[in-house]
Amino acid sequence: MFPNPSWGLLQMAATQDVKGKGEGGDQNFDYMFKLLIIGNSSVGKTSFLFRYADDAFTSAFVSTVGIDFKVKTVYKNDKRIKLQIWDTAGQERYRTITTAYYRGAMGFILMYDITNEESFGAVQDWSTQIKTYSWDNAQVVLAGNKCDMEEERVVSVDSGRLLAEQLGFEFFETSAKDNINVKQTFERLVDLICDKMSESLDTDPAVTTGAPTAKLTDSAPPLQQPACNC
Amino acid sequence: MGQSFSFFSLKHHPPKQDPTDQKHQPGVFSKLAAPANKPGDFVHLISNCISAASTRTQEYLAFKDLEEKFHPSPRVLIQVFLMTYITQIFSLNVTDAFSCTVTTPEQRVLPGADWVWATLEKPSQNPKIQIVVQMAQMEPGGMNPHEKTVDFRASVGKDCFALFLLFGKQDDQENIYSVRSNNFEAAIAKGNKVDRFSSTEAFGPIFIKSLVRPDWDLNPDLHPLPRSSWIPGRMKK
Repeated sequence: MFPNPSWGLLQMAATQDVKGKGEGGDQNFDYMFKLLIIGNSSVGKTSFLFRYADDAFTSAFVSTVGIDFKVKTVYKNDKRIKLQIWDTAGQERYRTITTAYYRGAMGFILMYDITNEESFGAVQDWSTQIKTYSWDNAQVVLAGNKCDMEEERVVSVDSGRLLAEQLGFEFFETSAKDNINVKQTFERLVDLICDKMSESLDTDPAVTTGAPTAKLTDSAPPLQQPACNC
Repeated sequence: MGQSFSFFSLKHHPPKQDPTDQKHQPGVFSKLAAPANKPGDFVHLISNCISAASTRTQEYLAFKDLEEKFHPSPRVLIQVFLMTYITQIFSLNVTDAFSCTVTTPEQRVLPGADWVWATLEKPSQNPKIQIVVQMAQMEPGGMNPHEKTVDFRASVGKDCFALFLLFGKQDDQENIYSVRSNNFEAAIAKGNKVDRFSSTEAFGPIFIKSLVRPDWDLNPDLHPLPRSSWIPGRMKK
């Protein structure tokens, strides 16, 4: 497991900004969450992000080159949360590049395609990748995408839900095309991260004092400010 | 894939030639433009598209307005190249076999590439062989941004190449030069720096041909992309 220094750094940046030291509009936020979308090639990761960030959809498939990202700001309890959402290429050839970005991620959307058995079978491997390259407190939502294609479904809702339970993940079936559960998936992931932050504060009061030795766990980074009041 | 052109060919510069000497010699690029002999041989079509894009971009590079107010930025030149290329490639209908993915502004920060050409596997439409392309203005003293692209290429593996299209060469402002980076990393490992390219003339040929013809005889001579054909050599007005 890697420690996660960026959590603390991002929040430090946010704290400074709230105090009016921001460098511009892009820096105007209270918290920044780094999220990753992972899963097999062609399950719809890019389309999912496009739907969420731009409310757009195209059925044309263009394989993502390495990694890309979009930024979206959401509001929760009067707090501005900047989501830095990394869209990863699913192809094996990019694995070296994409896993390098797992570090510091606070949340993952692990996606499979309900019309593609292989992509569902790979979920366990992706989960292992998260455990290997990310940190213990990263939150994960399992998303069975393309649920608009009911006629071509090969993975049942129950199978998806059961696997999510086994892995300890939240679960949604989604459709970037028909805009089903896209926003909800991101919102749930944000909620989970906020809950985790609050939980960490409860278990380690030293965090709230900004004590430099405060840690979430042995492998987690020190928090620099109180968690959001989600 | 042809590996004969390397960073180390910098040490073996061909003697400078009068550009006009090469003007009428058939070069590797002229062969590329030959008609296809078999179905699926789309190399010549792609070459024509790149040639057209290069020609259009060079028109901008060479343009001199009397008031000297026209100074297109590198980004504009990249757009001119891409728009021309894309227009051509669509008209020839070979996008199913050879894709061109333009990177987003965010992606450019990461692999540093401007676009990626790829041969596609069917039916998955996933890339098989890729060419990561970066188009950049040559600047004296360093080409370090290119290292990102070289690193990206290396991390993807042997099925990925990097190609740099460079313009603004000090003694030849109107041409676009190409260099590929199959083994940049080997050069770097031996202590050389990528930025040496900024002060050399050892630019390799464009290598689309090598995608389908590994035995292609790579020519280490200078290969500025020509204005209107694939015949190597400078074609100043």
